[in-house]
Amino acid sequence: MADEWIPAAIYLVLCLAAPLGLLFGAFAVRVRARDQSPAKFDTYECGEEPDGVAWVRFHPRYYIVALLFVLFDVEAAFLFPWAVSLRDAGLIAIVDMAIFLGILLVGWAYAVRKGAIEWQ
Amino acid sequence: MNILLGPLAADLVLVIGMGSVLVTDLILPPGDKRLLGWGALYTLLAALLATFAMELTGPAIFGAYVGDPVALMFKRVFLAAGVLAALGSLTQLAERFERRQGEYWVLLLSSVLGMSLLAGARDLVLLVVCFELMGVPLYVLAAWARDDRLAIEGALKLFLLGAVSSVTLLFGISLLTGICGSTMISEVALYSREHTNPALLLGAALTLGGMGFKLGVFPFHMWVPDTYQGSTTPFVAFLSVAPKAAAIAALVRLLIAGGNALLVGVVPMLITLAAATLVMGNLLALHQTQVKRLLAYSGVGHMGLLLMALATGTELGLSMLLFYLVAYLFTNAGAFLVVHAVTGDEGDDLALFEGLYARSGWLAMAMLLFLLSLAGIPFVVGFWAKLYIFLAAWAGGLQWLVLLGALLSVLALYYYLRVVISMFMRPPPTPIEPIVPDWGTNTAIALCLLFVVGMGLVPGPFVEAASNAAQGFDGAIVAMPRSTAP
Amino acid sequence: MIAGDLRVFLTVSAVMFCIGVYGILSRRNAIGVLLCLELMANAVNLNLVAFARFSTGTMGQVFTLFAIALTVAEVVVGMALVILLQRTHRDIRLDVAEEMRG
Repeated sequence: MADEWIPAAIYLVLCLAAPLGLLFGAFAVRVRARDQSPAKFDTYECGEEPDGVAWVRFHPRYYIVALLFVLFDVEAAFLFPWAVSLRDAGLIAIVDMAIFLGILLVGWAYAVRKGAIEWQ
Repeated sequence: MNILLGPLAADLVLVIGMGSVLVTDLILPPGDKRLLGWGALYTLLAALLATFAMELTGPAIFGAYVGDPVALMFKRVFLAAGVLAALGSLTQLAERFERRQGEYWVLLLSSVLGMSLLAGARDLVLLVVCFELMGVPLYVLAAWARDDRLAIEGALKLFLLGAVSSVTLLFGISLLTGICGSTMISEVALYSREHTNPALLLGAALTLGGMGFKLGVFPFHMWVPDTYQGSTTPFVAFLSVAPKAAAIAALVRLLIAGGNALLVGVVPMLITLAAATLVMGNLLALHQTQVKRLLAYSGVGHMGLLLMALATGTELGLSMLLFYLVAYLFTNAGAFLVVHAVTGDEGDDLALFEGLYARSGWLAMAMLLFLLSLAGIPFVVGFWAKLYIFLAAWAGGLQWLVLLGALLSVLALYYYLRVVISMFMRPPPTPIEPIVPDWGTNTAIALCLLFVVGMGLVPGPFVEAASNAAQGFDGAIVAMPRSTAP
Repeated sequence: MIAGDLRVFLTVSAVMFCIGVYGILSRRNAIGVLLCLELMANAVNLNLVAFARFSTGTMGQVFTLFAIALTVAEVVVGMALVILLQRTHRDIRLDVAEEMRG
């Protein structure tokens, strides 16, 4: 009984040691850049000269749209395996997906009706 | 079509009811939304009726679900909790959250649906999906009073711990499925009987930890009092009973299946959790000055008793667990509903209960009986429930845990009696304002009281039902190997 | 037993999971906590996909899809709660929501 737990405990300790070791190691060794040109502290803008500050405040309404986007975006993940195996699965798969999308459509209608998408 | 939906009739009722409430909410003009609550209530009642009137046994969804008597018993507990919460919230919603009634009912129904399916999940994918279907609506419902700072704080705590718990649970389950190469719990159990693998134990331990958060057992109990204090009280009556019963249902499926295959490994952890929960729940309840927080900590203590029964891993333990859950459902939900009737939206300070006897004799008597039942005094159901758990645990070889539990029950009397003294011996604030609860809350309290007293006077049939259910458990219980029992 | 290649994946995912736990315990910003939660969830997904390659096959991949959808549902609700926190407390640092004690 107890012997079975020992490897599990070692595993757990290793898992904890890895992130903590990294964090404390970085702190102890003081990893930092030697060359301290101002460009190092700039916001990374993919070759462009950064313009303005990175801390732009977004309107909370943006997040509500983003939430809806994320939800429907992930539902699309279910469509890919479905599309790949559609030829083998046949008619039943089409019916299943129609039901699935129907439920999503109700959700979408709900969001529209409740005014979640309106940008006032 | 080889998808058998027969055993899922009650769940189908819930799905249809949920969809209808959602669509009706879109069509109804604002100001007419009271209808939705009735729809939800009738849906829950119809599903509850279906569990009694229809034959809901047998496997479904390609064997991922099984409707055995244990699942059926759990289903009734969840649906009854849903009915009580619905009755309690009808008036509050119509008056305080007039515009957002539809969402409340849809979320409540979907949470009940998740639990109801969870009760019979034999497949780990279904188990995880149901666990989330149950959990996610609870986060939203906890934040229902969305202008209230405390409600948001409580909901955030519930969410953070709940989300961490479900990810931990997922991590544990991913280890279990990966190592055993199957998502069926029976296969996992079979594999873990034949092989010993530390990762399997780790998986089982992480799963238990994840469920522990939902149960609110000791090291994971931090959200319990805060969420209870912040959320609307009829919802708390639901939250304090149904998700906990659901987490227990999932643990029963997972751990006891296949002759305690996984339970054997985690029994030391389970016993430690049970003991710590019993001690800390009761100790922390001692100095509470707010009734909801007091009931929250006492509820934490009660979870320790449930874990105790689970740790025995015997058929007797399982049947007493079921009986206890039914008793706990009516007692705890009843107590929170009385708190709702007394305090309304004015917080939950113990001072509000002073002289309750003069303001409403009915509420004071009901609360007295609920508190006696929670404390485990004879002739109300809590006594039998506690006694049977102790008997099962004693027979299962957990004698020291029983002694600890009995000792703490005496301690628990103290904080329950504080509420009783406040209700009966302190003078009411003058002028005396009588309390007249709304009819829904009244009905729910009366129902709870009926069962608390009825089951207390005649526990026989209910114990028999619980024993029969445990006998019909799908996951083949065998006695634990003697060497692992402490 | 666990194959050698699989062990590498499991170790990486376990480390990811633990970094997530560390982040949840240490971050004060609610969005940061949600990000760490996502890290933990992705550790689970890595686990599931790795197992799908070595032992569970298609079932493991299906489980991964489910796991992704579930975590998103959870994080979206969390995000909505953070918006509410911003509304009621005018701040999204979690230590503002520490009024209840005991």
